[in-house]
Amino acid sequence: MKISLLFSSLFQRLIPCLFSCQLPSQFSYQFPSHSQFSSRNRSLGIPSALFFALGLMVTLSSSYEAVAQTEPVNGMKVNTPSVVAFTNATIYLSPDEVVENGTLVIRNGKVEAAGANVAVPADARVMDMSGKTIYPGLIDPFTNVGMAKQEEETESGARSWNPHLRAQMSASEIYHTEDEGIEGLRKQGFTTVLTAPDMGIFRGQAAVTALKDGPVSSKVIRSDVAQSATLTTSWDFGFAYPTSAIGVIAFLRQTLYDADWYERAWEAYLEDPASVERPETNEALEALGSVVRGETPLIFETRSDEEIQRVFRLAEEFEIRPWVLGNGHEYKIADVLAGVGVGDGRSAVELILPVALPEDPDVDTPEDALNASLADLRHAYLAPGNAGVLEDAGVAFSFSSFGLEKPEQFWPSARRAVEKGVSREGALAAMTVRPAELLGISETHGTLDEGKTANFIIATGDLFEKETKLLDVWVEGERYHLESIPELDLSGSWSVTGSPTGEMAAGEMAVGEMTMSLSSASPGKYKGTVSAGGKEADLKTVAFDEVSRRFHATFQGDSLGFDGMVRWTASLTGETLRGWGEYPAQDRVEWSAERVEAGDADDAEDANDSEEAEDADTAEDADPSTRNKTKEPVTLANIRPAMEYGREEQPEQPKHLLIRNATIWTMGPQGVLENADLYIKDGKVEAVGQDLREPRGAVVIDAEGKHVTPGLIDAHLHSGVDAVNEFGNAIVPEVRMADVLNINNIWMYRQLAGGLTTAHVMHGSANPIGGQNVHIKMKWGALSDELVIEDAPGTVKFALGENPKRVGTDRYPDTRMGVEQIMADRFQMARDYRARWNEWERTGEGLPPRKDLRLEALEDILNGDLLVQSHSYRQDEILMLMRLAEANGFRVKAFHHGVEAFKVAPELAEHGAGAVVWTDWSSFKIEAFDATVYNARLLHEAGVLTSLHSDNSQIASRMNWEAAKMVRAGMTPVEALSLITSTTAKLLGVDHRVGSLEKGKDGDFVIWSGDPLSTATKAEQTWIEGRRYFDLEEDALRRDAVDKERDLLIQHFLGDK
Amino acid sequence: MMSHSTNMLSHNNGSLNNRTAMNIEKQGYASTRFLMIMILMASTTLMTLLSGGFLQVSAMDTEIKAHLSEQDAGQPERIALTGATIYTMDPERGGEPIQNGTILIENGIITAMGEDVEIPEDTLVEDLNGQQIYPGLIDAFSRMGIFEIGAVPMSHDIDEQGDVNPNVKPERVVNPDSRHIPVARSAGVLTSVVTPDGGIIAGQPGAVRMDGWTWEQMTLQSGLGLLVNWPSPRRNYSEDVRELQNVFEDARAYHTAKKAFEAGQADRIDLDSRWEAMLPLFEGDGELPLIVDAQEVRQIQDAVTWASNEGFPIVIMGGRDAHMITGFLKEMEVPVIITQVLTSPSRNWEAYDARYSLPAKLYNGGVMFAIAGDASPENSNRLPYEAGASIAFGLPADEALKSLTIYPAQILGLDDRVGMLKEGMEATLMITDGSPVEYATRVHQTYIRGAKSDMMDNHRKLYERYRKKVDEWQSRKD
Repeated sequence: MKISLLFSSLFQRLIPCLFSCQLPSQFSYQFPSHSQFSSRNRSLGIPSALFFALGLMVTLSSSYEAVAQTEPVNGMKVNTPSVVAFTNATIYLSPDEVVENGTLVIRNGKVEAAGANVAVPADARVMDMSGKTIYPGLIDPFTNVGMAKQEEETESGARSWNPHLRAQMSASEIYHTEDEGIEGLRKQGFTTVLTAPDMGIFRGQAAVTALKDGPVSSKVIRSDVAQSATLTTSWDFGFAYPTSAIGVIAFLRQTLYDADWYERAWEAYLEDPASVERPETNEALEALGSVVRGETPLIFETRSDEEIQRVFRLAEEFEIRPWVLGNGHEYKIADVLAGVGVGDGRSAVELILPVALPEDPDVDTPEDALNASLADLRHAYLAPGNAGVLEDAGVAFSFSSFGLEKPEQFWPSARRAVEKGVSREGALAAMTVRPAELLGISETHGTLDEGKTANFIIATGDLFEKETKLLDVWVEGERYHLESIPELDLSGSWSVTGSPTGEMAAGEMAVGEMTMSLSSASPGKYKGTVSAGGKEADLKTVAFDEVSRRFHATFQGDSLGFDGMVRWTASLTGETLRGWGEYPAQDRVEWSAERVEAGDADDAEDANDSEEAEDADTAEDADPSTRNKTKEPVTLANIRPAMEYGREEQPEQPKHLLIRNATIWTMGPQGVLENADLYIKDGKVEAVGQDLREPRGAVVIDAEGKHVTPGLIDAHLHSGVDAVNEFGNAIVPEVRMADVLNINNIWMYRQLAGGLTTAHVMHGSANPIGGQNVHIKMKWGALSDELVIEDAPGTVKFALGENPKRVGTDRYPDTRMGVEQIMADRFQMARDYRARWNEWERTGEGLPPRKDLRLEALEDILNGDLLVQSHSYRQDEILMLMRLAEANGFRVKAFHHGVEAFKVAPELAEHGAGAVVWTDWSSFKIEAFDATVYNARLLHEAGVLTSLHSDNSQIASRMNWEAAKMVRAGMTPVEALSLITSTTAKLLGVDHRVGSLEKGKDGDFVIWSGDPLSTATKAEQTWIEGRRYFDLEEDALRRDAVDKERDLLIQHFLGDK
Repeated sequence: MMSHSTNMLSHNNGSLNNRTAMNIEKQGYASTRFLMIMILMASTTLMTLLSGGFLQVSAMDTEIKAHLSEQDAGQPERIALTGATIYTMDPERGGEPIQNGTILIENGIITAMGEDVEIPEDTLVEDLNGQQIYPGLIDAFSRMGIFEIGAVPMSHDIDEQGDVNPNVKPERVVNPDSRHIPVARSAGVLTSVVTPDGGIIAGQPGAVRMDGWTWEQMTLQSGLGLLVNWPSPRRNYSEDVRELQNVFEDARAYHTAKKAFEAGQADRIDLDSRWEAMLPLFEGDGELPLIVDAQEVRQIQDAVTWASNEGFPIVIMGGRDAHMITGFLKEMEVPVIITQVLTSPSRNWEAYDARYSLPAKLYNGGVMFAIAGDASPENSNRLPYEAGASIAFGLPADEALKSLTIYPAQILGLDDRVGMLKEGMEATLMITDGSPVEYATRVHQTYIRGAKSDMMDNHRKLYERYRKKVDEWQSRKD
């Protein structure tokens, strides 16, 4: 402890000296560099600064820095020339411009010249780069470098009330050099990165920084380049709103409006400070001003293909410039990404693609394999091809190391991407010119053109070849040496002669003529033998240090006539080793050796092979994503959703479709028709009746013996969304389920298989006033946007009883009493809010009111634009809400669950509220104790519009059997079926589209094997808008396809083809 | 904290979630086990001293049985149900129902059945006019009477402290006035196998009649087996299996020691209630089968292999993956109590109907099976539909009925009293207008051991009460 304290205080005192008082450089190509030392320092637990300060560290001097920096010189001014010419190199000036045998000249941290016919300046230090390749330094457009020490502090400064809103944080301010994580990236060839804070939802301003050692001031190239945000819940601040994916999006929306308001509010105040109320000072909103004006880009970290599309939706709504930090699932929506335009000019999306790959699934035993989903198997297989798919689709992107467990996985992953389809030029561009453009630094970064920053990599060859090694990374003209490849090869046959020194008697030992054979398994590593007089001994150790040119070897000399271990050491000059040695019994000898034959091809090659294989093994162990590299390729269909049972394309919609000879439950005025036909034209019901004329070219399905019903509707479902509840506030009508639809949802397919075509996907019950629900169709294979029934009315979830009062935080309310009061209170707030707006719009005076999405949603409720669908159990709370609604001038559209709704059936009928209930759920909690299976029947008998619901993904896949239970409870079959079709549609406000088979309505229907209310019946086909989304025969084929794909992939991952 | 709240609010499966949460909480047992054993040892030693022997558990059972053989007061001694179509479910009888048949019930037992049954004098005759009679359904996995309201833990008596509870008997804590009993009865569920849960050995399921003044009257059969929870492969599988095996080895050691004591080869033996309860396992008479909750292939196979090596009779409960090893189950003659047909597969790649078609696959594979629900007593009325669903997905309709009647009776050793209609069986039956597993069917009347049931249940009671309110309102409106 004391030592580290001492060091850190030394660090403090010595650091000013670092960049101005370096010792004179003894520059040489092999000299140890920054990175080697600093890594060693770290492992010793000694601050690298100490090494700097003690003069153990010497870099290529950078005297030009003094010109650009404010720090005074301490000690002797360093003026080591900074002009270097790299000659005879293969130079990638840019991804598509390669110069062979070229020269690169740098001066004062910039490229002075680069090309084939570049003269070496007279004052330059020359470095021969024969056989080497020089690349522009890599640029990572999204990292969290230097962000390890962010403060959670929420009490200081003029911050937002909401701890998640940290837009005022600036990477260049909070950058901390401890554990900054730059060295790992630099070792991969990165020289410049964008670094962004990563705490909260609006996380703060990102900065472009150089990956060089030294104080933050020398690293930061450009501050506040972009604002960083996330779409995912952050738990950094406990239960603070928002706590869910729905809440996050609502919060993003509101905050962007707030940022706009904040500017206008301050303007209004400053114009007339005498009469206008002073707005709060909120540095976070201030920082977002340039974001809502579309000046500063907004980076969204995403975690799924759906989240990326959510960014696009936000960009439709706001004049923001979004950058998408991707997640590896982009190939699933390549068509979307290719087609999307963002912002006014509809420019292509700015996509940052992490190269990180998912781990291989565990399929080692058959039992493990049983639990591997096809979605995961497919993703593990397809993810390496992500960039290639996007390139083929014409989607531009930059690469990022973001999400890698270790930086060393960067190149294996990037090479995998190249192997799986992305071009080398494309990949290189994604690491250099693309991110430079994105970050607005292409004038200075990204290529090796004249005038660019001297950021480059020196490598042994093509970066995309596995064996290529990175030797040096230069950042702003400073050298970071990574690895030396020995240039001298001692392999060959050496003729050794020697003579004793000192008192050793001649003839006692056979120094005379010996032969030493050396072979090199990999550069710098040797093995060999010594032979004399037909006898041979293996060299026990042999080493050559190229920097000092020192050679060492030992061997057991017994077989050659030495009585013990012989130890040799020597210095290499040209082809001669001049040595000295100790023989057993302290005999000393001077010896020399001349190479008589160079190389030992056979031996070396063999050794090379085995060594390579070993290297490969270790590399692959380090990176699980490359393990399957050599296995047979698998061809997988391009399906959506990219999981089990996904489709290659949307089902066709025949112009004319005729279902013949079925028992048709129209659920409309035509009632149930025996032996009847259903005619669907362009996806809409055209006619239902007997012996309909067959239109020309119609697709005809003979459904003799079958029953046909409208597609089933579930009035209350929670599947297919990434979040259900926003706990963070009691009143959250601003959150929208439509924001978080997710098509990667097997339940949709299962529900289709049970005849479900429409669902009302609802917010949860954690809030007295919850979020806005969404009406969707079960269009398996479509995108999430395409599921939404656009002309459905808005609905909002309310919740009464136990759930909203037992969230478990200190959130109001704790009682049913509080539920009533907070609702009443918020409705009044909404009215006051409108009054304020009206006043402002009339007078234009005073502080402009803030656009409040929550209060506007409450207004929509009051105006009847958002229909109230309320979770409820007990009769008292049902009555309470009806009376509260009446007092506020609106009506409750329907009470859901309504376990005790039957107890207030007359009151419901009089209010005009419907009831959406279960068949027989009961007693899972106190408020559900008085359940009765006759609930729907009694409500129906009292004239209350009544529907069933599942509130459960599984039950939603067999709603016909739920309705059938009501036949046992005494309803007629048609009444029972109406509970999941026609009445449901009315209660959800979508009866103009669905719920019955009447002319003009959507062609959504189910063909059943028999009576849909029988336990012996199953759905055979499910059609939506005249498209067959489910079919038993097709399902059988799909099962086979799923089995085959799983098998292929499991075999692949087992490497057992 | 977070996941807890989420559970609380996912109201749709409230009861299930609560159970899950509870099971999770019980995993802390191992740490308290030692202390518990110490206390048990101390108290049982004291009991042994006081009573001068080991105990009374079996004596008590005899007493109960004596009670049960008495006929309830107030019940007519002889009842004849005539003019009925009788679906007997008697495997010896074949598929066709008895048309226009009669069942004669004397002292709760069927004494005659057929087309031509002579009806003695003093018989209460009920002409059923072509209605159908089926044996009462058996819910082979139930918590009826020991679990009332999901979110009210004090109404649960399922999961005793500790991992090893072979001695606990749930039928003795059945609340005869549970609201759920009449609801189950209305669906024709007339026998429930009341089942504890938790730990390694949860206790001994008991079969309970769905009518009676007291649990004693209701108990059809105590100690149907030992409910064993096979370890989850997703935790420390091998260690957990070893722990389970150790429990049985300890019990076997107790059996050995006791035998030695009885043979005068040992000076004493101190009572251990847990091992005492497991003694029948080692007598080799198959009286106490293991009912092993196992879902995945490796669980099922490992449990069966172990039990067969130990010589324990075994029934698999759950059996989600049983269709993958029907050959094995058939060869080993291991029956399966399928819990939940009306559900979806746990793996996305499985066919949407994987669970609906599980019974048909076991049937086609020649595996003996029964169908049960998810043990939520408030949902026992759904039991018929669990079997009904399997008809749409390939199970012959009469097999679906057997899987709720004679099959569970045979698997659990109750087929000498319930599960089919036959002379000598208890008259536990229902009168319906159709198959009990079909949705449109209504159960008009049930008899339990010859006693005509009160068909009023809480659902109907609430309907009738509030129907009055609606009627009054409507008449005011008119």
